[in-house]
Amino acid sequence: MKALIRLAWEALFLSEEPYAEMRESSNSALRGLGIVALVALAVALAGLAGTALEWATTPNMDDIQQVVWEGIQKMPWYQELQSEREFREGVQQQYELWWRIFPQLFAPNIASAALRIILLPLGLTLTWFLYGVVAHLFARLLGGQGGLGQMLGCTALAVAPQLLNLATFLPYVVVGGVVGTWTILCRYVALKTCHRLTWGRALAATLFPYVALALLVSSFACLGSVATALIFGGGTSQ
Amino acid sequence: MKELLQLAWDVLLFRHESYVQHAARADALKRGLALVVLVALLAGLIPFFINVVGDLRPMAIEARRQEAEEGMQEFTQSLAAMRQLFDVPPEFERQMTAYMRAGMRIGSRIEALPTRLPKPVGRVLQDLGAFLSLPFSRLAGWIGYSIWVLLVAKLLGGRATASQMLGATALYAVPHVLEILDFVPCLGATLGLVAVVWGIAIYVKALAVANDFSMGRATVATVVPALIGGALILLGLMGVLILALVSR
Repeated sequence: MKALIRLAWEALFLSEEPYAEMRESSNSALRGLGIVALVALAVALAGLAGTALEWATTPNMDDIQQVVWEGIQKMPWYQELQSEREFREGVQQQYELWWRIFPQLFAPNIASAALRIILLPLGLTLTWFLYGVVAHLFARLLGGQGGLGQMLGCTALAVAPQLLNLATFLPYVVVGGVVGTWTILCRYVALKTCHRLTWGRALAATLFPYVALALLVSSFACLGSVATALIFGGGTSQ
Repeated sequence: MKELLQLAWDVLLFRHESYVQHAARADALKRGLALVVLVALLAGLIPFFINVVGDLRPMAIEARRQEAEEGMQEFTQSLAAMRQLFDVPPEFERQMTAYMRAGMRIGSRIEALPTRLPKPVGRVLQDLGAFLSLPFSRLAGWIGYSIWVLLVAKLLGGRATASQMLGATALYAVPHVLEILDFVPCLGATLGLVAVVWGIAIYVKALAVANDFSMGRATVATVVPALIGGALILLGLMGVLILALVSR
């Protein structure tokens, strides 16, 4: 386990050595899986600790909802129109609907954080595997020399930037978009080292899976729009 | 640490040898990241302490209300100034004040709600969270931009690897230590501007050294992503404007 943590830590700094070491390893895919699971578990546990602290320092959401509602009722626009029953009921309905969504987005939720202990390793493993396979195909098309097992081992090291999320064991810490950008850089180094590609080809092979995903999502969105238009559009033309 | 401080000093003075030695090191990125994190934390240290002290001070709700009231008066004064330049209806001012008062009432009532841990613990944790988030936002901005600079540098014949290039350009952060005085009116903004210009100059120099090419090429590689980004934003805005005009 110590060796895996060392590899992930070194991989974070974009040096080619840890990636080369992984490529030469006899069971690189399995070691890669170990790294992904270990990092995801550590991050989820840190997140749980941070969320618990945030929950303990935040007022009860039901109390906040009540305070805001009472505040709205004292606002000039509400008082001007409160004599209309329809308006009163409509505002209350909208407010309650909004409060069903709002806490899910912003309020600290220990149950969701605990669920992440299972979901994050699963999600990261799935992403790692899918990205690894797709990027491997592109890398091979571009003249790459690595095997699939080696590729999975190397791209597993690209989860290293997730280690930054360990900082969330402290509540209110925002790590932000740096993890995503850093992951792309790590994947570039992983592909370049694993397949011994030139920088241009490695870059293309790194970005192709993202482009493919974007195209796939756009196609589904277009298909969805067309289907919706066909289903609902037909009913209005008379 | 002493070595890192010496490097920071040499970088500020544009000592060529220090740039070359730093870029050639295997741990250039580690050292560069250490500098970025250190500078971000140092720059945020004084505001962090001010916030913590302010949050731990036993301040009555009435005093907080008073503080907010003063802020509102400032806003009303700025509205009065606006009235001289624009046609601001008096009703607008009255309504804005009423809504701000209502918002303040809601805010102070939420502030008074009980929490599971004592209130000061929560406030200090919030300050600490905001303080520790500073390096991450600085890292995000720097890496996000550098990735494009790296691409342009490679197209211009640059030889640096991603690790060398990021390790070298991380030095740009050193002058930003001046942001420690950001809270001082006027002086803070001036020093901030000095830090930005100084930082860009260091960035260009570090890029040239890491890629082993001329300062001219380094300048082009540094500026091109910003120009392309600016042009794209401009195009987007023009598109929105044309769409708005057409749909009229």
